[in-house]
Amino acid sequence: MSRQTKTRRLQQRQHKYRYVDRGFILLLLTVFQLFSAVPVVFEGGSFYWQNGAQFLGYIAFEWLYVAVMHYGFKKVNFELEFIAFFLCGIGMTLGASVSKASQLKQLCAIVLGVIVYDLLLWFLKDVRRVMQVRLPLAVLSLLGLAGSFVLIRFSVGAINGAYNWIVIGNGLFSIQPSEFVKIAFVFVGAATLDKLLTAKNIYLYIAYSIGCIGVLFLMKDFGTALIFFFTFLIIAFMRSGDVRSLLFVSVAAAVGAVLVIYFKPHVAARFAVYRHVWENVDTTGYQQVRTLIYSVSGGLQGLGIGNGRLRYIAASTTDLIFGVICEECGILLAFAIALTFALIALYAVKCARTAPSSFYAIAACAAAALLLFQTGLNIFGITDLLPLTGVTLPFLSQGGSSMICCWALFAFIKASDIRAYPKQFKSAVSGGALA
Amino acid sequence: MKNTTRRAYVIYALVIAFLIGLGFLLYSFAANGSTWAASRLNTHIFTNRVLTRAGAVKDRNGTVLVETKDGKRVWNESSGVRRATLHAVGDAQGYIATGVQTLYRAKLIGYDFFTGLYKSANKQTDITLTLDAEVCKTALEAMNGKKGTVAAYNYKTGELLCMVSAPTYDPLQKPSDINTDTTGKYDGIYLNRAISGVFTPGSTFKVVTAICALENIPDVQKRKFTCTGKISLGKGEVICNGVHGTVTFERGQNVSCNCVFAQLAAELGRDKLTETVRSLGFGKSVSVSGAKTVRSTFDVSKAGKLDLGWAGIGQYTTLVNPMQMLMLAGAIANEGEAMTPRLVQNDGTLGELIDLAGGVNKNIKLSPETAKTVAALLRSNVKNYYGDSRFPNLQFCGKTGSAEVEGKKSHAWFYGFSQREDFPVAIVVCLENGGIGLNDAIPVANRVLQKLLQLGI
Repeated sequence: MSRQTKTRRLQQRQHKYRYVDRGFILLLLTVFQLFSAVPVVFEGGSFYWQNGAQFLGYIAFEWLYVAVMHYGFKKVNFELEFIAFFLCGIGMTLGASVSKASQLKQLCAIVLGVIVYDLLLWFLKDVRRVMQVRLPLAVLSLLGLAGSFVLIRFSVGAINGAYNWIVIGNGLFSIQPSEFVKIAFVFVGAATLDKLLTAKNIYLYIAYSIGCIGVLFLMKDFGTALIFFFTFLIIAFMRSGDVRSLLFVSVAAAVGAVLVIYFKPHVAARFAVYRHVWENVDTTGYQQVRTLIYSVSGGLQGLGIGNGRLRYIAASTTDLIFGVICEECGILLAFAIALTFALIALYAVKCARTAPSSFYAIAACAAAALLLFQTGLNIFGITDLLPLTGVTLPFLSQGGSSMICCWALFAFIKASDIRAYPKQFKSAVSGGALA
Repeated sequence: MKNTTRRAYVIYALVIAFLIGLGFLLYSFAANGSTWAASRLNTHIFTNRVLTRAGAVKDRNGTVLVETKDGKRVWNESSGVRRATLHAVGDAQGYIATGVQTLYRAKLIGYDFFTGLYKSANKQTDITLTLDAEVCKTALEAMNGKKGTVAAYNYKTGELLCMVSAPTYDPLQKPSDINTDTTGKYDGIYLNRAISGVFTPGSTFKVVTAICALENIPDVQKRKFTCTGKISLGKGEVICNGVHGTVTFERGQNVSCNCVFAQLAAELGRDKLTETVRSLGFGKSVSVSGAKTVRSTFDVSKAGKLDLGWAGIGQYTTLVNPMQMLMLAGAIANEGEAMTPRLVQNDGTLGELIDLAGGVNKNIKLSPETAKTVAALLRSNVKNYYGDSRFPNLQFCGKTGSAEVEGKKSHAWFYGFSQREDFPVAIVVCLENGGIGLNDAIPVANRVLQKLLQLGI
């Protein structure tokens, strides 16, 4: 293919992406967020000024971010950011409404997430840089995960049956190390310069994956372990294309799971309630049954923010947030949110096709698949279509670690979009050289 | 690079799986929404697991039996009405499974898939029953503390006019010792005996034996039978309630002669008897406005001649459901066509989603000729034996029963119907260990019927 044709094709491709009007979308987002904030700020006739200030601060932050990125860093497209802002906003609104308290921590987590997102995006610009930190990051993340397990095991102990929370300063902060390892897991897995993607060069990655998933098993965080395993399958497939080996690995994992259940009946007992929640409404099926009852009570349009009952059930703003959205904001909005994650995955596939390097393609697909898989585990887990594993709903569940992780995963998707690095993109188009 | 791009399509598989999951979730929301939303655990409608937000349940005259006022469930002011209609209306906790407040809870609370419980905050759906609360109250009074059931319906339309089950309680003053009591006074208190009860039928079953004989023995009505107070069958004998001497088929029915019907049953044999019992709908459940009746049981597959004789007079292992007997009376009265009883009136607000129709019970197959002959027999029972004075102004037809139960007082039964064109009412009375049909069940039936006659149907 001649250089000219290549350039022309790229221009055509670029033409296909129509830019969504930033200002207009941001305006819509602002209107939506203001409207949904009103019942929270003025709930029950009182005036919660901290919440009001916070919502205004959040909206201001969105405008400021887009302005700085556009005028300062010449960024052209903000689709992913808008989606994340939208989801985070709903999570914060419901969080404020349920807790009746300030969401300062959550707001900080969002801001921190955005910072991590942009730093990571900047870092991913240079694939050679990525390759340099790959091995150190692998070692560091695995050691960190193992270290935190040991730390938790002998200090905090298990919370809700799993050793996955580090608590600092008498409960002021709690960190979920596995969320941060998720970022490293995608990073390490996708980082490859190999032109020929074959089975040979993924052995190290397999070893790293076994290490991570093994520690998660020790932590008894089976939901996250499952997410890691699934992400591993996606990455390994994209790198090697070796269906047979992966089938073998999956079968081995299934056998392993059966053995675990056989030798450790208490693990099986945790999942025994699956499809039997209505027989255990006051014990192990408590949350699922409430989620079902109140989700359908909302109807398609919801009962209105503040009028729900699922909010009074434990974990309503974390694991069960999807049910709260169904009840208070309506099944329509809840399902639209769920569909968003499917669309993000399709967007990642589309970006992967034009990504400047296979690293970007693999990272984007892995990150999008991880988010979609986690969304599925959460939504279908709390509604008893799948066993309940206690994973969070990306961007919507309350929690700092999870929030930062989600933003970071979005950076991988964004990095694969050819418009992500405008300068590089321009030079690529004019020079016709694309890695 | 090209490989990677192609492999990215694996994400499509994940997206498709996710969409299928979402579709299934939406489907299960739609399919189970009304059950889930109506759950006792839903604090939108239940407070401390007591139903507090639901539409009113009214009787046929518009008398409110229970309704929600200012966030509280308010019951009818008469304790007698509350107790008499409890099993039809259902309790506030949902223990009475066949009650309207349990069966139709999703409708009462105003739930639908599209709006959820949004509308229900201000407006719920009311349900009107076919029952007359005053008549129910009279029935419960007439039962005089005995366990059992009284049910009456219009055999032309299927509307249940009276349905009472005892023991019962006042939902406003629920006895605290229901679960701890050992005397048995609350046995089956949450059961609507008309729908969920089965009892030994005793002599009421002789009508079934008679139908079988009429259909299988051509000259049975001309036959003469001899009653010496007992009859030998196989290895034993069936004792009669008297010594009736030489009797006709009709007289045998009048005096409820065991010898006649035990002999006929033994003569007819297992197969013919079983066939008739089946063709009359015993053994099938029907839906009384959504409440499924318990199946009656009749099994003579292992019965010898003696057992067959006992089965022919309603003893042996046979158990019948009172609502089934009411439908049999209705079928005989209505020239072979049995209307299925229904409890809920379709006033248009409930839509077709609910199986209100009732209609003709296709399980009961009785030829118009046989129905007429049997109706005449039952009329003869009242006219020539019980006495029309026991049923003033009613042109009544019927059959009593005193079903023997081991170690306890017999069940007092009566079921029948009026032949008055302007009063197409059939009734069943079953008093559990309540005594003799003639002395104990008939007065209850008459009192309820007179009240119905007085109030109009």
